[in-house]
Amino acid sequence: MTYILQLMTAGLAVGSVYALIALGIVLIYKCSGVVNFAQGAFVMMGAYLTFAGSRLGLPPVLAVPLALVLMAGIGVLAERAVLRPMLKAPVVAVMMVTLGMLIVIRAFCLAVWGPDPLAFPRIFPDGALEVFGVFITYNYLTAGVLSILLSLGFLVFYRFTPVGLMQRCAADNPRAALAIGIHTSNQVSLAWAMSAGLAGVGGTLLATLNGLSLGLADIGLIAFPVIVLGGLTSLGGALVAGLLLGLLQSFTDGLLSPTIEDLLRAHTTIYSVGALQQVVPYALLVAVLLLRPQGIFGRKGSERL
Amino acid sequence: MKRAQFIVGVAVAAAVLAVMPFLDRYVAYLVTIVAIGSIGALGLNLLTGLCGQISFAQAGLMGIGAYTAGNLCNAGLGLLAIPLGGLAAAVASVVIGLPALRLRGLYFAIATLAAQFILEYLFKILEPLTHGISGLLIRPPTVLGFAIQDDRANAGLAVALLFLVWSGIGVLRATNLGRSFLVVRENEIVARGMGIDVARTKFWAFLLSGFIAGIAGAISGIASRLANPEAFSFALSVDYVAMIIVGGQGTLTGPLLGAAFVTLLPEAIQRIGELFNIPSILSALREFAFGMLIILFLIFEPLGLMAVVRKLRLRLTASKPSGKSPSATTEAV
Repeated sequence: MTYILQLMTAGLAVGSVYALIALGIVLIYKCSGVVNFAQGAFVMMGAYLTFAGSRLGLPPVLAVPLALVLMAGIGVLAERAVLRPMLKAPVVAVMMVTLGMLIVIRAFCLAVWGPDPLAFPRIFPDGALEVFGVFITYNYLTAGVLSILLSLGFLVFYRFTPVGLMQRCAADNPRAALAIGIHTSNQVSLAWAMSAGLAGVGGTLLATLNGLSLGLADIGLIAFPVIVLGGLTSLGGALVAGLLLGLLQSFTDGLLSPTIEDLLRAHTTIYSVGALQQVVPYALLVAVLLLRPQGIFGRKGSERL
Repeated sequence: MKRAQFIVGVAVAAAVLAVMPFLDRYVAYLVTIVAIGSIGALGLNLLTGLCGQISFAQAGLMGIGAYTAGNLCNAGLGLLAIPLGGLAAAVASVVIGLPALRLRGLYFAIATLAAQFILEYLFKILEPLTHGISGLLIRPPTVLGFAIQDDRANAGLAVALLFLVWSGIGVLRATNLGRSFLVVRENEIVARGMGIDVARTKFWAFLLSGFIAGIAGAISGIASRLANPEAFSFALSVDYVAMIIVGGQGTLTGPLLGAAFVTLLPEAIQRIGELFNIPSILSALREFAFGMLIILFLIFEPLGLMAVVRKLRLRLTASKPSGKSPSATTEAV
């Protein structure tokens, strides 16, 4: 029982970071119809920037917000320089151009910080909290709490503030938004800024859990199963789906993989199932697309024939 | 395909094959990778360029072709392993594609992304067939008692197959099926109104494109004598999408230009890097150039190299009016 609770807390902590990253993709999709494959690169870049900040001697309290602001700047730059010229391009081309950004940012990090994994500076104190026999390290605790707080804070901002209202107007009906005096293209830039900033923080949190490497960009791709599960246009859905996928991965790693491996070893020559927890989200994604393409919370769209 | 185009194709293929025995081994290697890239790009172009479905599972399908052909080659089937590899990939492509028939555009792309990751995972864990991460060693096939293991023989094989695939697609484009691909790409409702069975058309697109991808994978496995999961990763899928974008979607020769560009660019940067002795940031530079290339092409020349070629040709024909320029524009599908 403690083991299950242990897996659950770890899954929820990682899942909340996924949710934070996925929120950004949904936000951008809602207001500009762009599916941002570069989100994984933003995740990685944010972690490297925090790393660079603390290398310069900044305390984490400053390094993380600084990385957030820099990432927001990169997000705006990406939107203005790359996405704006492609306003009228077909969906496929826009998808591909964000993939191009992913490659460029990855190459940049590779050139500056090298291909080897780096030891991420200790941002949160060592040690663990014990609740009912379940150990939660401060790393996981802060990662989970911080990303939940940020996600909820963002949702509150989006729902209840004037700027959030303008965001929703611009996403809902750009023409009408323009007609009532909302500067829609600035709103799109703002969405990119927020999305990249949140992704950057998410990357920093992931790096405190798993270490810092170029592989963080691939973890960003897990956000895609999350958004499809949650429904592409639902921010709340992304939050719930992120947590669900975190749990699923954690349970796959801790319970399902060992069980399957025992079965396989007994009946076949296959010895290991490898990193099953990394594929499970994609298998789930295929299942969701087949059974309920609009996701759990999404509205029925025209994407389904 | 126009007759002139076909004749040019025959001439180029024959010329390459004729000089092959005298080529440097490195040049032969370059010819091989460009030819393999071209075959794969032609296959993806069938689905994306002609039928309008973007796919990120190309590398996975090529992997299926490589592993199938590799195992059959080791079992002593010789060159027959190549079409069988294609067949296996065609089946996989249909399996991926059929459920995705209900999905469009974005959702289809994400579904193929998932398929790519699942295939990559299967390559790693199905030890009995794939030998896991270390990869499957492939014995060179023998033809008439003559083993294909030299770089030049590989290049010859790849070019010959490229020619077959290229002319096959050229013929296909002029058939009813080829034309209905285009209508489905442009507008599915119109296609249905014209009496085209959209689902059946897409089924054929998946099948043929998967078959060609499998052939490309099979030769790449045979040429490198190894099939390993690393070689058929998501990054390769991105390479192939980049090839058809850089080359020119939906055209017959564009994918070849794109494949040459995308496969030779890293080689060129490698050489330049060796020249200036900066190996440490070389791979970063290579990736950076590749990413920038995709972005710049999409922003400034979304129709790819073919559009550049066409503009140049139009400018040339405009300076000496021969009345042939209209045909160049009608060809622009």
